[in-house]
Amino acid sequence: MQKSVFSSALPWIFAAAILIVLPFIFTGGGSITIMNQIGITIVLAMSYNMLLGQGGMLSFGHAVYMGIGGFVAVHVMNIVENEYLWLPLPFLPLVGGLVGLGFATIVGSFSTRKAGTVFAMISLGIGELIAACCIIITVFFGGEEGISGDRTMAPSTFGIEFISQKEVYFLIAFWVLLSIFVMYLFTQTPVGKMANAVRDNPERAEFVGYSQRWVRYVSFCGAGFFAGVAGALFAINYEILTEQNLNTVMSFQVLLATYIGGVGFFLGPVFGAVLFTILQTVIGLQTDLWALYTGIVFVLMVMFLPTGLTGLFAMHLIPLQLGRLGMLIKPYAKIFVPGLAFVVGSIALIELINHVRHHGEEQFMTLFWIEFDTTSFLPWALFLIMLGVGFYVSRVFAKEVAEAWGEATFVEGERR
Amino acid sequence: MATEALKLDNVKKNFAGTEIIRGLNLSVTKNERHAVIGPNGAGKSTAYNLITGRYQVSSGRVFLNGEDITNLEPYEVKRKGLSRSFQITNIFPKMSVFENVRCSLLWAMGYKYSFWKMVGNQTALNEDAEKIIEELNLKDRRNTLAGVLSYAEQRALEIGITIAGGSEVILLDEPTAGMSVSETEYIVGLIRKVTEGKTLLVVEHDMGVVFDLADRISVLVYGEIIATGTPTEVKENQAVQEAYLGAAMEEH
Repeated sequence: MQKSVFSSALPWIFAAAILIVLPFIFTGGGSITIMNQIGITIVLAMSYNMLLGQGGMLSFGHAVYMGIGGFVAVHVMNIVENEYLWLPLPFLPLVGGLVGLGFATIVGSFSTRKAGTVFAMISLGIGELIAACCIIITVFFGGEEGISGDRTMAPSTFGIEFISQKEVYFLIAFWVLLSIFVMYLFTQTPVGKMANAVRDNPERAEFVGYSQRWVRYVSFCGAGFFAGVAGALFAINYEILTEQNLNTVMSFQVLLATYIGGVGFFLGPVFGAVLFTILQTVIGLQTDLWALYTGIVFVLMVMFLPTGLTGLFAMHLIPLQLGRLGMLIKPYAKIFVPGLAFVVGSIALIELINHVRHHGEEQFMTLFWIEFDTTSFLPWALFLIMLGVGFYVSRVFAKEVAEAWGEATFVEGERR
Repeated sequence: MATEALKLDNVKKNFAGTEIIRGLNLSVTKNERHAVIGPNGAGKSTAYNLITGRYQVSSGRVFLNGEDITNLEPYEVKRKGLSRSFQITNIFPKMSVFENVRCSLLWAMGYKYSFWKMVGNQTALNEDAEKIIEELNLKDRRNTLAGVLSYAEQRALEIGITIAGGSEVILLDEPTAGMSVSETEYIVGLIRKVTEGKTLLVVEHDMGVVFDLADRISVLVYGEIIATGTPTEVKENQAVQEAYLGAAMEEH
């Protein structure tokens, strides 16, 4: 039954290797910045999933724990700079984590009494409250400009001063891996298992001897800790924290990222954080409508793929195990072209309308690396046709996909 | 006193002014199999909910092995050694059969809210969980999600969750409801096996099961026990015949 130490350590070694190699593949300063942002979002989304996916607690205010951890981290950074305290930078996330934990200990003591609507509403209220405090209590939060610091003034760690983005990348990568590892261990503990049980059926959990409130409380504090770690990583990476890091918008972004990745899977939020950050940064550079696209992706996910990206991968394990993945290739290939036409047509039309509405004075616009005249009839007609025909043909082919899917996953006499 | 595993002393329960349980007196002797029968709406499930802390009693006391457990929280009642099943299947649907059983063992085996021990390394815990799954006859469903089991299998798992952790007093609520004849046989056999040497209180509508399983029977009608006795005594009781059993027996 027991797996050998080596085989259970293998995925972690593999993950560490990937994290080490990544900055040598994506060498650009821009890509390192994005990877740092992804790392921070991963820790935050994973901690959020301790609540939502594993504990069944829907929080609308998770950014608060990240924000408070981050603000304290910046203050500590400044204290270290003034040499009142000796603390090498790599330990700063621990400080952020403890602050997040401390704040979660207080809020959790009353918010985890019930799950569901009561918990969600309290989290929303606390989120709004702290966001309001941010503007009011300027001594701590710095008002609208926020609080900034300088990470390079900390005592050097083995000669590393964390001046370059790449050095910060390795610090973040280390904490990402450590956080995921500890969060994974947590899922394997008695209270981690009971978190799932309380999520599934809180009442029954009480009848096997556990107080649902205490089980939630433990998860909640753990989630607060790792949100605080993410906050300190944010503080290290950006050297500034403002109200935007802990307001409701931020909390909803965490929810979005986690959900897109898949709340039902331990590593789901990792994929969600990657996709979400890429949507936010890469697409954010191309268009100012990135939030719209993120919103559309989210709605489509909730409607058609509630198990998230990871769920989509996991679905395909069944035909893979049955050796029938090949049956799906042809229908997938068939739907790809009209599907792509539909997506490209829709995006182009949205961008075109946006361009005419907001930059109407510029006659030409560039889209998908092609420059064209917005006043001519041709692009409009082309995009409309792509959208319409793409949609219609996709719907026809979608039936074939559904049929092929049914065939590929059908097992005689077994219910799924 | 010492031989009374469970005792209800004049327990009453009002819902919005209506008295549902009107002075319930019940005593279950240690190691006996005691059945509660009665028409629908007599308050059988309510009585269970009062004993196990799911509802608060309006007045009266509940004793477990002589200790007052009135109005304790459900988890406190469980920790004192009383475990129950539910009329409507009440399992952890998104967890595997194995995890369902293992979670039910955790508190009883002293793990509490531990977040520093790995459940995978706890040999005794895992062996006990496997043993229970084998007893339930669910070995080939070990890794299946509980939510996709067949109804009879879910009912078996429900009993498994209830008996896991070795509670001394077991309360079962209609364990064979909605089952075919062969499924009922399987469940009754299972109940017999897993409650060996324990105290069992069972609510059941199937009179065949009741008279087969129970050492003593109590008849609950409109929130009151109208008779308690051995199956033969209860069958011959005039009041029971009139209130309930006559109609119930005709069905079989």
